[in-house]
Amino acid sequence: MSGIIEAKDLIKVYRRGREEIHALKDVDFSVSKGEFVSIIGPSGSGKTALLNVLGCLDTPTSGSLRLNGVETSGLKERDLVRLRRDNIGFVFQQFYLMPTLTARENIEMPLLFSKKSKNKSRIDDILEMVGLADRGDHLPGQLSGGEMQRVAIGRALINDPKIILADEPTGNLDSATSQMIFKLFQDLNRKGLTMVIVTHNQDLARQANKMYTLRDGQIVGCEEMMRV
Amino acid sequence: MNFLTLAAKNLLRRRGRTLLTVLGVAIAISVLFSLLALNSGYEKELNREVNSMGVHILAVPKGCPYEAASLIIHGGVIPKYLSASDLENVSIIPDVELATPMLMHQFLKKDEKTGKSTPHIIYGINIDEMRSLKPWWTVEGRFFRDGEEKVMLVGRDLADKENLSVGQVLPVGPKKESFTIVGILDRTGDQDDQFHFFSLKEAQRVFNKEGKITTIAVKVKDVSRISAVSEEMEKIPDIQVVTMTQIMGTIMNLAGSAKSLLLTVIVIALIISAFGIINTLLMSVNERTREFGMMKALGASGLDIGKMVLAETVFITISGGIIGTVAAIVGSSLIEGFVKDMLPYSPRGSLVFLSTELVAFSLLFSVGLGLICGIYPAFKSSRLTPMEAIRSGLE
Repeated sequence: MSGIIEAKDLIKVYRRGREEIHALKDVDFSVSKGEFVSIIGPSGSGKTALLNVLGCLDTPTSGSLRLNGVETSGLKERDLVRLRRDNIGFVFQQFYLMPTLTARENIEMPLLFSKKSKNKSRIDDILEMVGLADRGDHLPGQLSGGEMQRVAIGRALINDPKIILADEPTGNLDSATSQMIFKLFQDLNRKGLTMVIVTHNQDLARQANKMYTLRDGQIVGCEEMMRV
Repeated sequence: MNFLTLAAKNLLRRRGRTLLTVLGVAIAISVLFSLLALNSGYEKELNREVNSMGVHILAVPKGCPYEAASLIIHGGVIPKYLSASDLENVSIIPDVELATPMLMHQFLKKDEKTGKSTPHIIYGINIDEMRSLKPWWTVEGRFFRDGEEKVMLVGRDLADKENLSVGQVLPVGPKKESFTIVGILDRTGDQDDQFHFFSLKEAQRVFNKEGKITTIAVKVKDVSRISAVSEEMEKIPDIQVVTMTQIMGTIMNLAGSAKSLLLTVIVIALIISAFGIINTLLMSVNERTREFGMMKALGASGLDIGKMVLAETVFITISGGIIGTVAAIVGSSLIEGFVKDMLPYSPRGSLVFLSTELVAFSLLFSVGLGLICGIYPAFKSSRLTPMEAIRSGLE
């Protein structure tokens, strides 16, 4: 089976002083196109490390990772940037919006880096899609947590990624808002986007197609959910 | 939105800090700009002033050449004298077109209101010879004739300052003889505007200096012969020969040491402000580590991040440069007064010479400063791996 993400024997070791931290121990992981996958696990289990390696934000100590059919090990920084930009949209727990930019400008920002010309109607569509059609000119400080995360999701979508990687996207949100964000993810998934979500929240994780459990840098479980 | 607006908006997030940094740059740039303006103005004015003497070589009594140089240009009493025979000896040197004697006399005039004494300078001159040395002299009223008694010319600035007019009578000398102002020199823009002029003979008589002269001004037939003539003149005992180029050189040397002192201060100011900029930038880079990580995750390359940081730095320095330059232009007269006090000799005209080249230079300099200061912070931010950047936010 050829997945859009195929990771084999991923090992990631961090050094902190003399101590070696084995964040990932021989992880095999694959996601097929259009899947909605969640990863749960306690703190320090390597969830974020895995997500960062999958998103080419970090290189594995060893192992191989193919993204959309492209082998990433040995790629130059410049090519990694391009691969990441064209394939992956990131959503973070802390949103990381630019406080001085409006919602619209925040969504627009990745275009600056991808050197694509901005297309006003495309940004309008995205604002519409994340439910912020009337909030485009607000600064992040004027938005609620859920709205800020929607802006961040919109920003992840602007470059037409094939995969969304979200790291604790609801970690800073209350449960009702979290549910709404998850629903947005499900909508995006239905439009064909592949979703990989790291979360603490089991209830939300169970709404994915597949739920992986990570412990001590290893995948210890995989549940396939039955769609109701 | 583009990189520049993004950079500008980033700076606005820490308004106070940005403002202080900009001010630091502005101060350094304004001082630099003023010094450069002053420097070019100083040379220009000095040249003009020395040339406007219309004289190539001066003969003065032997003494300190520095003192001589300053006295001659600004006026002043040299307590030693040359004699008619010295004049004779100078005049017979071949290639001397004209050698004219002058007697300088200084007296203090007490202002009745303020009680302050100001020095006044009287020049005894041969008017015909002087007018051929300074063909640009024109007068309101008339010139006196050589040997004409109890008349004087005054310079325009002096006349304005003392409210003098043609026909007015002033008491002169130890016996308070009455001298009539027959003419006021039209403005020359140099030191001549400050002086009283008497006929040489009258000056010698009034101040009891019969037969004595303080200076012999020499005009050479051909400028290329200046050094040959001055060598000849050196052979006459009692005479100290000062050529205009020597005077220029001497003054420039003196001024040079004052300038290098100023320059040192400016270099230090620039270095301090450069470190200030680097510090501010590094601080803001560190604060925004996570943000850069986010940008990288969103497809920014290290180069993009570095460019943004560099743009921020250049924003800071160019705004500082603009503010500093404008401030320097506005405040140039203040600074000029300050610097004039510091310099051992300063020409009378405006020292500050503003040119578009200078403005362009100081703006370019501020851009360059930004590029230099921004290199390290930009490099540092561009090298952050996204992972490190983001992890720093999760811990």
